[in-house]
Parts: sequence; structure tokens; C-alpha cells
Amino acid sequence: MVEADRCSFCQEPAVIRGREQAERWCASHLAVHLEDRVREHIRENSLVSPGDHIAVALSGGKDSTALLLILTLLIPEWKEVSITAITVDEGIAEYRDETIESAVSITRHLGIRHHIISFPDLFGADLDTLIRRSGSGERACTICGVLRRKALAEAARMIGATKIATGHNLDDEAQSVLMNVLRGDLVRLVQDSSSGEPDCFIPRIKPLARITEKEVVAYLFVRDSYSELPECPYAGSALRSEIRSMLGRLEYRHPGTREALLRSQAAIRKQGGPPASSEGVRRCGRCGTLCNSEICQACRILESLGP
Amino acid sequence: MQVILPDKTVVTRGDDPVPIESILHDLGILPASVIVLKNGKVVPEDVIASGDDQIRIIRIAHGG
Repeated sequence: MVEADRCSFCQEPAVIRGREQAERWCASHLAVHLEDRVREHIRENSLVSPGDHIAVALSGGKDSTALLLILTLLIPEWKEVSITAITVDEGIAEYRDETIESAVSITRHLGIRHHIISFPDLFGADLDTLIRRSGSGERACTICGVLRRKALAEAARMIGATKIATGHNLDDEAQSVLMNVLRGDLVRLVQDSSSGEPDCFIPRIKPLARITEKEVVAYLFVRDSYSELPECPYAGSALRSEIRSMLGRLEYRHPGTREALLRSQAAIRKQGGPPASSEGVRRCGRCGTLCNSEICQACRILESLGP
Repeated sequence: MQVILPDKTVVTRGDDPVPIESILHDLGILPASVIVLKNGKVVPEDVIASGDDQIRIIRIAHGG
């Protein structure tokens, strides 16, 4: 019988247990186990191809740091694949400076090229200023999310990336499914950005999509790369924050809820008709980037906030 | 034993052996939302704490 505080594979002290509680991992077995699962997820879903230049979205927070650590380990296994870290500096006082320092530190340590792009450079103002113009923090995460996606795509285009890798974990993905259902946003629910469809967009891949948030943090601890960073001051106002708590409680009482949500999404995608074609894609009338309407979402947001 | 909460406040509990999961339950904290350190080492939540053990609870869910 395995003791509660021992690894199921080597009897070293355990750091985490599996959801079914049958398995426990020590520091070294957990690292190998998670790296194997990411490798498998990438292979099964053909997320990386020979010759890819992957732009890794690196906020400096836990998920993106773990993503960079794991991709750096896996890179030698792939043919002619390179990575560049991209950090978007939104300009959030008492939050972003520390995470950017962390991003700079990890890229230096790993010897990875690092490109930083800021909201003022691209949009003429930082996020704090834009939120003040909006008159309320309620839209903060929507404004930030749209502009950050645009900034990331712009930076990826500038460096000639063929893929954008983000650190979304299993919890993030399950939360997104539920959020899209609650918002009635079927388009986002069935959208699969990893395909790059329509083919003029850079595919976005999520190598950590099968790893739980808790496993990500435990991985950083065992790789000696965990640092306690401040929480985004706007995070509490987001719908995601409420969904996170609700889903956390559901998962605790009904293990497997997160995976069930992702299976539902996959099933809906299968019924969702053919993938988007490039026919509906046009250039934004304001900034010229590719989008699905006359004016891109980022320009619509910026216009709504005024000069 | 000493329990350091995510906001860094310290709670003192009795020395009787107790699974850390029970401590989390008493505090209304979901195990999936935190990482637990026992005397500075990451441990699964069903590990027993007692006596002079120091338990530190770190919240893992952050926005951004």
C-alpha cells in the first residue's frame, strides 16, 4: 500500500496527488509526467510542424512561464523549430512591472529571444488610461483581452512567427467553454483558433490545455521557478472570476467536470459545420489588419473610448 | 501548529494530527485552488499535519 505522503513510483515524498487519489507524484516524477502529457497533446493534435517559428506569449505569470520552460525542453525533439518569447506590456500600475521583470529574467536564464511590445506603442495609451476613459473597470478584461490579442498578433507578425503559443491551462479552457455558453456566444464556442482558419491568421496553439492550473503551479515549484506575483487589479471584475469559483466548486464535488465541458465543446464543434473560410475576411477600415467585419474589434473598442 | 493563509495572516491551531484537507475545509478553501506547503515543502492535501508543523497555503488562481 502506498503511503499518503510518498510517490507512487519511487517512494520519494509526494508533492501532488491525482484526482482519483490513486496516484501521487514526487517532484521529479511530476515534472516528467507533465512534460510527457504536453508532448503527447502537441503530437496528437499536430500543434507543431517542422520549420515552425513559435511566438510564445509570455506574460511572466505562472502559466506562460511553465509553457516556456516545457517548450524549451521539447524544442530539441522537433525539426528546425525555433521559439521567441513575446511579452505584451499593457501598462497596469503595480502589476505589470513585476511580471515583466519575471519574463525578462526567465528568458535570459533560458537563452530565449524576447520581444516586448506595449499598448502605448500600438494604441497610444496604456490600459489604465483606457479604463479611466471607459469610466468603469467593468469592461477592463474585455478591453484588455481584445487589445492584447491584437498586440500579440502584431508582434508575432513582426517577428515572422508561424504559430502563437499561449499558456491556457485546462481550467482556463473549461471556464471559457462555460463563459461562451452563458453569453450565448456560439461562434466563439465552436471556433478553433489552433487551425489558423481562415488561413490568413496565425494559428494559436495551447500546449498546456490538458494540464490543470494546480499542476502548472506544482510544476513551477518543482522546477524551482515559482515566484509569487501580484494579482491583476482588474481581475475581480471579470465574469471569469465568478465562473472560476463556480467551476472550482463543481470540479471538487463532481471530479471530471472540466474535461466533460471540453468534450461537450468538441462534440458541438463536430456538429458546427465547415470551418470558416477566408471569403469573409477583409481589412479593417481603420488599421488595415485582417478581420471578419468592416472595422476590427480592437478599433471598435478604441473608438468607443474616444481620443 | 501554524497555518499561514494566502493573505499572509497566521492562524494557530491545536497540535492534534489532522489531514491538511480538513484544515482547508474548515477555512472554506477549495483544495484545487491552492498549493500547500508543509514545513516549506509542497505536499498533497491529504498529508497529516500536527505539533509544530507550519502549513502555508498559496492561492494559485490569478487573473492576467
